[in-house]
Amino acid sequence: MNRFTGKTSGLEEWLQQVRQNADIMDNVTHWRTLAPREARTAPLPEGLHHAWKEALRSRGISELYTHQAEAYRAARDGHHVVAVTPTASGKTLCYNLPVMQSLLENEEGRALYLFPTKALSQDQVAELQALADLMDVGIKTHTYDGDTPPTVRTAIRNAGHIVVTNPDMLHSAILPHHTKWVKLFENIKFIVIDEVHAYRGVFGSHVANVVRRLKRICRFYGSNPQFICASATIDNPQEHAERLIGEKVRLVDNNGAPMGEKHFVFYNPPVVNKQLGIRRSSVLETRKLAGLLLNQGVQTIVFARSRVRVELLLTYLQELIRDKLNDKSIRGYRGGYLPKLRREIERGLRSGEIRGVVSTNALELGIDIGQLQACVLNGYPGTIASTWQQSGRAGRRQESSITFMVASSNPLDQYMIQNPDFFFNRPPERALIHPDNLLVLIDHVKCAAYELPFEAGEQFGEEKLEDMMEFLVEEKVLHKSGGRWYWMEQSFPAHNISLRTAAQENFVIIDNTNGSRVLGEVDRFSAPTLIHEEAIYIHEGVQYQVEKLDYPEKKAYVREVSVDYYTDANLAVELKVLHVDKERESGELVRQFGELTVNAKPTIFKKIKLRTHENIGSGPIHLPEEELHTSGYWFSFSEDAAARKSKNEMQFALLGIANVLVHIAPLYLMCDPFDIRVVPQVKAVHTKKPTIYFYDRYPGGIGLSERLFEVHDELINQAKSLIRSCTCLSGCPACVGPIEEVGLLGKQQALELLNEAGGAR
Amino acid sequence: MSGLRDRMNRLRGEQAGKTAEDAAAEWLTNEAENVQGELEAAEQAEEWISPVWDRFGVKLHTNETGSFLLRRIEYPADYRHGQHAINELHLASSGLNAFHARNHDTFAEQVLFLDLETTGLGVGAGNVPFMIGIGYITQERFTIEQALIRHPAEERAMLAYLAEKLPQYTYLATYNGRTFDWPLVQNRFIMNGLGRKLWEPLHIDFLHPARSVWRNTLVSCRLSHVEEERLGIQREDDVPGSLAPQLYFQFLADGNPAPLEGVFRHNETDMLSLACLAIRFGHLLNGNLVDYIPLPEEPEEMVRTGLWLEKMGKTNLSEPLFEMAARSETAGPSTLVMLAARDKKAGNWARAVLLWQKAVIRTSPNFGAAAMEASVELAMYYEHKLKDFESALGHAGTAFEQALNQSMLVRRDAKKRAELDSLRNRIARLRRKAGMQTL
Repeated sequence: MNRFTGKTSGLEEWLQQVRQNADIMDNVTHWRTLAPREARTAPLPEGLHHAWKEALRSRGISELYTHQAEAYRAARDGHHVVAVTPTASGKTLCYNLPVMQSLLENEEGRALYLFPTKALSQDQVAELQALADLMDVGIKTHTYDGDTPPTVRTAIRNAGHIVVTNPDMLHSAILPHHTKWVKLFENIKFIVIDEVHAYRGVFGSHVANVVRRLKRICRFYGSNPQFICASATIDNPQEHAERLIGEKVRLVDNNGAPMGEKHFVFYNPPVVNKQLGIRRSSVLETRKLAGLLLNQGVQTIVFARSRVRVELLLTYLQELIRDKLNDKSIRGYRGGYLPKLRREIERGLRSGEIRGVVSTNALELGIDIGQLQACVLNGYPGTIASTWQQSGRAGRRQESSITFMVASSNPLDQYMIQNPDFFFNRPPERALIHPDNLLVLIDHVKCAAYELPFEAGEQFGEEKLEDMMEFLVEEKVLHKSGGRWYWMEQSFPAHNISLRTAAQENFVIIDNTNGSRVLGEVDRFSAPTLIHEEAIYIHEGVQYQVEKLDYPEKKAYVREVSVDYYTDANLAVELKVLHVDKERESGELVRQFGELTVNAKPTIFKKIKLRTHENIGSGPIHLPEEELHTSGYWFSFSEDAAARKSKNEMQFALLGIANVLVHIAPLYLMCDPFDIRVVPQVKAVHTKKPTIYFYDRYPGGIGLSERLFEVHDELINQAKSLIRSCTCLSGCPACVGPIEEVGLLGKQQALELLNEAGGAR
Repeated sequence: MSGLRDRMNRLRGEQAGKTAEDAAAEWLTNEAENVQGELEAAEQAEEWISPVWDRFGVKLHTNETGSFLLRRIEYPADYRHGQHAINELHLASSGLNAFHARNHDTFAEQVLFLDLETTGLGVGAGNVPFMIGIGYITQERFTIEQALIRHPAEERAMLAYLAEKLPQYTYLATYNGRTFDWPLVQNRFIMNGLGRKLWEPLHIDFLHPARSVWRNTLVSCRLSHVEEERLGIQREDDVPGSLAPQLYFQFLADGNPAPLEGVFRHNETDMLSLACLAIRFGHLLNGNLVDYIPLPEEPEEMVRTGLWLEKMGKTNLSEPLFEMAARSETAGPSTLVMLAARDKKAGNWARAVLLWQKAVIRTSPNFGAAAMEASVELAMYYEHKLKDFESALGHAGTAFEQALNQSMLVRRDAKKRAELDSLRNRIARLRRKAGMQTL
């Protein structure tokens, strides 16, 4: 250690200090050291174009990592490929290698690259163009997205060898205007889809259909391109890629990139209120750890789960180091920042000028920011896959790196922090898509018909084409003549179909107290209970009353108030099982998977006095009933089990279990917590027994509850172990819920009931 | 099939059950389909077409690729449509040469007029031209041919017919055809496998000159409005073009040709008006203003016409128009400023200064963007050209007042603020240069 500055000479020495620091180590629940890994390499493939070889050499690449070599070979052999690689393992070469080689061999060839975000596209274009310039060949790479000026669009359509875009642009601009892209579609040899793990759920189901349309257009122009996909580490990369592109793919996953020693530290903030199970704020603990690292001069990335937290942590950290580092050395990074600013931050991180960055998961995807030394995760990122991705941002090839994961009091975080083996030993989540979801499918069949008339005998998805065609003829959008179905409607179907529906469905909250300003957002499903008229909406500790809810326009107008009550709305949820597809029995417990309809209608709201919790009034809520037809999975307890508990006890037990399950279900799914819902019923209409239902929150379902049906036993075991290992006495927000909700014996009741629900005792 | 509909209804949260009304509607649809089916069967049997078509001159046309309907109308060359007789085109066509710098003259016979009626908007792959209208002139007559497809499968035959006609012409004349009609035709050739570059015409899109000349003097540059205001054409019982798709879909559904007559007539008038526009702009480029077309009444239109002629390389024709506008007593400030900007660029400072001064004088006290612009220009002129800083300061001061007055009425956006800031800077600089103390 330097006696004058108090700084240690390197991360190694600092780690030694940390291990002796009881203040920190008392909260460390697990410290895992992952051994360094040597590079495994292969020579540059034979037959590689000399210009390409030279360009690679000048970049210091004289041999390949094994996965790059294998991806190249598989692509050259004509296979569709999915390459699975962790962060910073030279992933882009897996596709750039065969694509460039092919373009050098045949300059008439074309390639299309798809990235989920614009930022990633721009990175790619810069890299590709730099390589082409290095080779001094006329290979042109262009981005084609909403920001592309109209003046250069024509040039890109005709002369771009590699066109880099995103699925949304492909869906709404390129495919419907394919006749302007004749050159591309006639000569397309490769379609590169990077970050395929990002295409999951509803979005992924849409993208899979966009790919179906893309392939259809390619066939029309007589081309049959090869797909090269890249994915982060997920449980099912091959299956997922195959579903996404509808082709058999070759899996390449023998990562040969080297890695330095990696320390993974689980950190659980200390309990400050044992009765209520409240822990110290994870934000404050994150500030402490990140502050220590930054003060040591360790280049650090901090990930937080929301934009607000990013800003909060940024402010804290900038304060901490105000006297030591210049004020531009710690930066924030999130979606709302302008592209120019983001580029500047990325550059600063690569050059080392920026010593610390606080980011949302925006930096989780493959944007090039170089490799940092330390990573602090504020809260479990939600999935194992994301956690590895984010942690991968720290770790240089020759040096040690460290990742702290600071748990919040959320049950999922608590589960992870207390079960390190679950995290380290389990494969990451599965990416699920359901391209044949009827609503999604029909949307894209319309777009496809607009692009090219359907012919009898064609196939688009699993549904019978004739049925879909007939339906759309009845809907008066298609016209059949001469054995074909033609689009015969004035509208442009792609305009009304968004690939990322969920984001658009939010309600905006507008504060009219002084002028009008946007206060925040509420997702569509929560809107009826949170922002119905007369509701008290609390935002950053301030009370607002909803004056008007414009339901069709998705806007709520609120005004600041000061009252001594809050409101609580009753939502009447009715579940109707339409049809059971699968059924399994384990012991006394029956579980089923099938289709159901959910009718949700907010009925009344109560005004509840603060502190005393007296009911001081109520009012009706006039909002339309929402009906959702989806897929679900449910399990019921035996009548014996029901008989052993009073109705009240059963109510608390079921509620407790539901609270736990809704939080740990994402362990098995790559999904947003809002994508799945859990509903407990003491006496369900369908089963007449105490039942817990799960359902997908998207019409038609997207495969989430089906997956949960499959892993039921494991799910139950995890729930049990979470409740058992929680340090609270009788229920807390980190397990079954607070005692106000589940009663004094809620924890015990839930555990007793769970013991009957399968899994290991 | 009904299974799929039920599932869709459930997913959309709609009532699945059929009501009596639905059943009745369905019965009617089925009935209509049956009739339609019989009609189709009959048509296919011996290419029978409804006698209704004959009422408005529509005949069946068959070629190697298939069949479609064709209506041909011939107008005698001296037919008058509004102000112009069609055969003026022979006289005016040489002027059209200016659109494409070419050595030899443009002959009226080389021009093909084109106008489509389509099923939708935009130039996406799913927008189908169900009617293609073309027009061409000979010494004796002006011919309009309108092809209509009875269903989408006839499109290929219609396009094949068009593809055969096109190479006989050198010029393509349209209204908004550069961004709509022609790219759409090209789309359809590609979609129907008829090749990509069948014909590469010299394209003249009259929307562009129409916008240049009438942007501010006409409420809209839609063809129907332009022809009424400037070509003396009155349409009677016109079916608006925007209704055409619905009428066509109706025809697809019930097979009744009658309502399509209106669409044919609408397209026919469009073709005639298109020819008249060619005559109009041809005359203009030939310097035949006054003789064949009236002088623009409004100074604004005079200036815009002059600017357009200048852009088309007819500088000699534009100067008289400019002079007339400059002398006009009714020219508004914005017109004067527009012409002054042209003069400034052309180096005609004397007239530019005069125009700016007039613009300031003719503006109602202290208000108007044009007046402010004129004051700024005058300030610049006095500062940089004459080095008369005090006069420049006077003009800059006027401009500043005008800008302030304006921003009281207009919302103060970033642009307005920048304008005020730059004026403040200018005044400060001029004070320095004039040897005054800055405030």
